[in-house]
Amino acid sequence: MMMTPAIILLIIFVIIPIIYGFYLSFHRWDGFNSPVFIGTRNYVRLIERDDVFLKAVTNTIIFAVSVVLFKNVLGLFLALLVNQKIKGVIFFRTALFLPVTLSFVVIGLLWSWIYNPTFGLLNAGLELLGLDNLIRAWLSDQATALGAIITVDIWKWTGFHMVLFLAGLQSIPKDLYEVAIIDGASAWARLTRITLPLLAPVTFISVLLSLNGAFVRNFELVFVMTDGGPNHTTEVVLTHLVTQAFRFGKLGYASAMGFALFVVVAVIAFTYIRIGRSGAYNF
Amino acid sequence: MATAVRQRNSDIYSDLFSRHFSDRLKLLLVYAILIVATVQTIYPLFWMVFGSLKTDADLFNNVWGPPRMMIWQNYVDAWRIADLGARIGNSIIITVLSLTVLLIVSSIAAYALARLQFPGRQAIFLIILATMMIPPEVTVIPLFIVVRTLGILNSRFGLVFVYAGTSMAFSIFLLRGFFMSIPPELEDAALVDGANRLQVFWHIVLPLARPGLATVAIFQGMFFWNEFFLAFIFIRQAELQTIPLGLVNFFYRYSADWTLYFAALSMVTIPVIVLYVAMQRWFIEGLTAGAVKS
Repeated sequence: MMMTPAIILLIIFVIIPIIYGFYLSFHRWDGFNSPVFIGTRNYVRLIERDDVFLKAVTNTIIFAVSVVLFKNVLGLFLALLVNQKIKGVIFFRTALFLPVTLSFVVIGLLWSWIYNPTFGLLNAGLELLGLDNLIRAWLSDQATALGAIITVDIWKWTGFHMVLFLAGLQSIPKDLYEVAIIDGASAWARLTRITLPLLAPVTFISVLLSLNGAFVRNFELVFVMTDGGPNHTTEVVLTHLVTQAFRFGKLGYASAMGFALFVVVAVIAFTYIRIGRSGAYNF
Repeated sequence: MATAVRQRNSDIYSDLFSRHFSDRLKLLLVYAILIVATVQTIYPLFWMVFGSLKTDADLFNNVWGPPRMMIWQNYVDAWRIADLGARIGNSIIITVLSLTVLLIVSSIAAYALARLQFPGRQAIFLIILATMMIPPEVTVIPLFIVVRTLGILNSRFGLVFVYAGTSMAFSIFLLRGFFMSIPPELEDAALVDGANRLQVFWHIVLPLARPGLATVAIFQGMFFWNEFFLAFIFIRQAELQTIPLGLVNFFYRYSADWTLYFAALSMVTIPVIVLYVAMQRWFIEGLTAGAVKS
């Protein structure tokens, strides 16, 4: 009864589109004429005859592994720093979260200027440090473009993970530390024996959210910054999907790509949840 | 004696303030790291505001510094060209209505999932979780067909339901965890006294869940306010469009007017930041409970 409004909204705006998208993934469809059933040919083509897709999968995995690692490690590190009773800590907490509030339009514009080869901050800084040989056009250089985008995604979201970890740290009873100090435990021992184990539930959620975001919420940033270029070096599955769907009108093929991605994410996420559930985390 | 021990250990990091040189060095290091981290998060915002007040020449010759002369006229022009008046109105209406629908519907559902025993409860939760893993880019075309069939294309009302519907899963996920962290004893007492579930929810649970609701409101409110992709697909009529669509139109039509563009960006970004700063205490509290105990 209490679930009814939510279930109706979910069915209309989420479940039906998903089922219809799944149906389309077995069809050839340009969006105008009626869809033609072609069995699993979209999926076969995806694996056998689309080099860009394979490249996009590799890039998506590189993207996902890097951002999950850095967002969580840096987020935890900053949370430990701003969990101390030092002057100005509220200011630091607020300021470090600010990038989370910015839209991708703002972020894309901002970082395009930072990476700009002629007047960008990054190259100006390198020049100042005498590292002239590192100066390059960060977003159009095939060697650095993907890393440059990954950096921006980490920049935007680290504050969010910091707040999650901070919330977890504040829920750890202080007397545990008092006892540990009286027993002569070192700072390192307190971190590894008390803090990290008790943070496990938060770490679980934090990693899950970043994992999900890294696979299925990276379109806008890549689109704004490079649109997959140069030469597909920053192509992720979602940019390839949108190009196929909206530029070439291959809507069935794009749907198949989306569901292939979904299967990968779901397998990773549910394996992770299963492991987490047997451990510290309870659903 | 005992008080003295507690005093000394009351704060695990109090040793940072002791007189030892190495401890002072440690504190210095902490501040150095925090200041570097903070500069790289907030300098870009100052840079945006600086840019919004410059002349074109100043912007290109003095890219990173403060403006040599304040050109407030940029704001007046940007407001007029991007037609921000009408768009801010649309954005406020759509954000507020979407949040209202989302919060009411998802909090009731999340409460049911957290407290009530009914068949299929676990399955529903897992399906909700799974829908979060489907990229919105995949479902947007089927969603377009659904919205067109319902006759709510090109309407603010339609976008409100698209937003509320597509954000439902995340909101239920977070609020369910939050409700599970509230001890059930209070509710049980009220139920014994003859209150029904909805009354208990309304009078006892919701007031306790304010931080959780604030978290969803801030997080999703930011998302609705900044959202571009869905708004672009579902609203084509200029007078119904939201701010991000206006900014992008503006950018394509007047791409040389960087200073005006920065002025427009500042006008839409600053209110969000002010709102976040005003509500951030609740936000952290909400995440604490929601994330720690889900």
